[in-house]
Amino acid sequence: MTLLAPWALWFSAVGLAVVALYLLKIKRRRQTVPALDFWRQLAGQTHVRSLFQRLKRWLSLLLWLAIVTCLILSVGNPVLTFGRIKPRSIAVILDNSASMQTIEEGESPSGPRTRLQAALEVLNDLTRLRPVDDEWMLIEAGRTPRVLRAWTRDRQAIRLAGESSSPHFGSVDLSAAKALAAQLISGKAQPAIVVLSDGAAGQVRKLVGDDQTVVYWPIGQSDDNLGITRFRARPHRRQSAQYAYIRVINASPRLVETRVVFELDDSTVAVEPLSVEGGESWEKTVVVHAPEGGVLRARIDRPDALAVDNEACAILEPIERASILLVTPREERFFFEQALVAMESLVDPEASLTISIEEYDTLNAAGTAPDVTLFNNCAPNNLPPSGSFVFVNAWPKEVPARVIDTLEAPELTVVERDHPLMRYLNLSAVSLARAKRVDLTQRSTVLARSSEGAPLIFLHHQPDRRFICLAFDVMESDLPFRNAFPLFLRNAVALLMIERSAWIEDQYDIGDIIEPIRPLPGGVEEVRVSRLLDDDIRETTLPVENGRFHFEDTTRRGPLRFTFGDETAYSAVNLADAGESRIAPLGAAQPPEDRLTLTGRLFGAVPWLAMAVVAALLVGLEWLTYHFRWTE
Amino acid sequence: MADPLFDKAFLKKLEYLDLIARRLVFGRQQAIRPSIKKGASIEFKDFREYSPGDDPRSVEWSVYARLGELVIKLFRQEEELDLRVLLDASGSMDFGEPNKFDHARRIAAALAYIGMCNMDSASVVPFGRELGNGRSRLRGRGKIFGLFDFLTGLRAEGRTDLAGAARTFVSRVRRPNLVVIVSDFYGLKNAQRALDQLRFFKHQVYVIQVASPWELDPPIRGEWRLLDAESPDFGDLTVTDTLLRRYRRAFDEFSTNLRRYGMRYSIGYALTRSDTPFEEFLVQVLQRGGLVA
Repeated sequence: MTLLAPWALWFSAVGLAVVALYLLKIKRRRQTVPALDFWRQLAGQTHVRSLFQRLKRWLSLLLWLAIVTCLILSVGNPVLTFGRIKPRSIAVILDNSASMQTIEEGESPSGPRTRLQAALEVLNDLTRLRPVDDEWMLIEAGRTPRVLRAWTRDRQAIRLAGESSSPHFGSVDLSAAKALAAQLISGKAQPAIVVLSDGAAGQVRKLVGDDQTVVYWPIGQSDDNLGITRFRARPHRRQSAQYAYIRVINASPRLVETRVVFELDDSTVAVEPLSVEGGESWEKTVVVHAPEGGVLRARIDRPDALAVDNEACAILEPIERASILLVTPREERFFFEQALVAMESLVDPEASLTISIEEYDTLNAAGTAPDVTLFNNCAPNNLPPSGSFVFVNAWPKEVPARVIDTLEAPELTVVERDHPLMRYLNLSAVSLARAKRVDLTQRSTVLARSSEGAPLIFLHHQPDRRFICLAFDVMESDLPFRNAFPLFLRNAVALLMIERSAWIEDQYDIGDIIEPIRPLPGGVEEVRVSRLLDDDIRETTLPVENGRFHFEDTTRRGPLRFTFGDETAYSAVNLADAGESRIAPLGAAQPPEDRLTLTGRLFGAVPWLAMAVVAALLVGLEWLTYHFRWTE
Repeated sequence: MADPLFDKAFLKKLEYLDLIARRLVFGRQQAIRPSIKKGASIEFKDFREYSPGDDPRSVEWSVYARLGELVIKLFRQEEELDLRVLLDASGSMDFGEPNKFDHARRIAAALAYIGMCNMDSASVVPFGRELGNGRSRLRGRGKIFGLFDFLTGLRAEGRTDLAGAARTFVSRVRRPNLVVIVSDFYGLKNAQRALDQLRFFKHQVYVIQVASPWELDPPIRGEWRLLDAESPDFGDLTVTDTLLRRYRRAFDEFSTNLRRYGMRYSIGYALTRSDTPFEEFLVQVLQRGGLVA
């Protein structure tokens, strides 16, 4: 037998005191009475007569010892383990990921509860059913692992630390938590790492592996969930429309039929029926006509066990036409102007201008900043510190490309066909009279090369400037006569326009840290971040240092607005994690109760209440003997 | 310093009792009662033949003239009533708060005073294991102070043997008297034997049972060593509520049996607590009980 609370043995001193009192006899108070015989006659009814009565005093002593024993056992919480339980050092990893917010409708006396709450109940059971001389530590997995309570034998402190854990609505890194636990548990006797999780999208399987110290305790049973795992929106400038892409997975093994509702700024703009087999996914692209932009929400119109992935949002950027500054020799402007006119949906002709390189230097000095500047066969002396540029056959010194010599009749080969700049282009058999052999002095993206490997079309990004360079003269090729030429210019304008406005990404996952893609304009000292919730807007102000800021409060999904200077940028935070949406818990290879040798599941802890009842009965029995006792 | 047993307050109460005593029939009806003995009263009782030695003055000469026989006239003997107070002076009386023996002594003194005020004699005789030498046949109010001194000097100690004391009493006092026993009467059998003896000798008996508040409701619980007041004997006892209930029931039964025994044989009975003012006891309890009219 093992006492879960061995400190109760200190109460044995009470038993010793009882024995001492019985052996020494209680010093009686004295009272003179007029007639002792009168009292004797009364007490004589129970006077010591039989052997049993002579032993009554010792019976009383035995009863009191039994009472004390029962009370000690009641407090000490004894268990019959036959030596199987030994003190251990147990590090508990608490998975608080989004999937742990799954509502379990199981037979819990407290009604529906989240998996995180169920995990805390398991933690309570663990600390209650293990011997008290175990050493405990609690780690919250979270985005990064966090020690909620360092090593302690105070089980109550562990429970309180568990209650202080807050849910993280994204995915967690269990392997980092396990590594931290392993580091902290090294050197401990009888170590064990208990992972309270629903499997964390299969992470647990890797964790457990052959590591005998890791005990996986599966939490939850429910698998009924539809989750939005991806939701992005892109403007289609040519159609003045937004394309929203959505992917939904069905985590349950059953066919689910429902619908997805799309709302733009709280107005329903589309409803798509959805039918997805168990374990499968469903994808759809929805066209939303919203040239002014807005917040687009997608909502699965069906309640399920995990609500956090039933809704996602995306930011629709306003579709604005670009102003193009074409800098070219007058005699070569025709093809370029025709190509720009052909992309009316992208380019604002009234804001666009065609000038010579001489005029450009004057205009540049005036501070004019078009969306895209296209240089053909010329290069400015002074390039603006920011902007988007296309250079054809010539570029300034700011472009890290050194001209080595000339390639005669090079063969153009596309190496990045999936790049947005090369989309829809057919450049096969393009005839080039000559091209520049270029040595890229900094890292750049090469989209097309010659057969010798010399870059012919390449991109280069600087913090405030983006370059698209063509290392050949299009006028000495048949490219202007091919459909690829206007398509290439359209792709270039579209790509540079998108990247022009992208101070931040349009989508982040819960738990991500939001930082600007490029440094903010000079003079910006703070950024106002507005969380656009359903009913209210909560604002936070962040300091800007060296053109950068850090926003870490991405624990909940929803649209965000970043305002700095005259600029405004939008982004959305979504769960969008298939691993979290697949809520079906991963089973344990071996019952964790057995691996942890929990007392309640062995022979059962002797209920303290039963021992207390026995003690009370013994007190009653002793009371009876006490009230009928007469000793001399 | 303890209050004196018979202080000024007690004397004032005695004056009050004196007034009461004048209205009582305690003395007049009984003190001048005719005796079965022949004596020198004026009430004729019988004739008897003259025998040598008789007083010649008692010869009825008119009878001799008519019949020629010498006869003498006999008259009833008148006797006074003697109040005998038997005061229990055993160790068991020296108990309680207020002290039982003090209370008993005050009662004895008051009764004796009432007796003396009614031109009878009064005696106070203490007893313990044996009958002691008390103050006997006290007449007149002036003797009360001597009685006070006697009672003040009395000590309650030793065992009780009421039956033995009664046996001694009846051997000493052969004429029937009014006997008032003031005691706690522990040992009912022994007390009944004593009362029987007094009853057999034609004494008019009245018993006053004295009990302290402690005896009526002992304020003790738990483990006690009880010491006997009349002997070195002791006993260890666990006093519980149950035992106390049984004690109170037994004490009531004990008093009731004593009273019933008295009713059966025309023996007056009264129970007094030691915290009851003695004058109140005398006026209310004894009057109701028939000791005084």
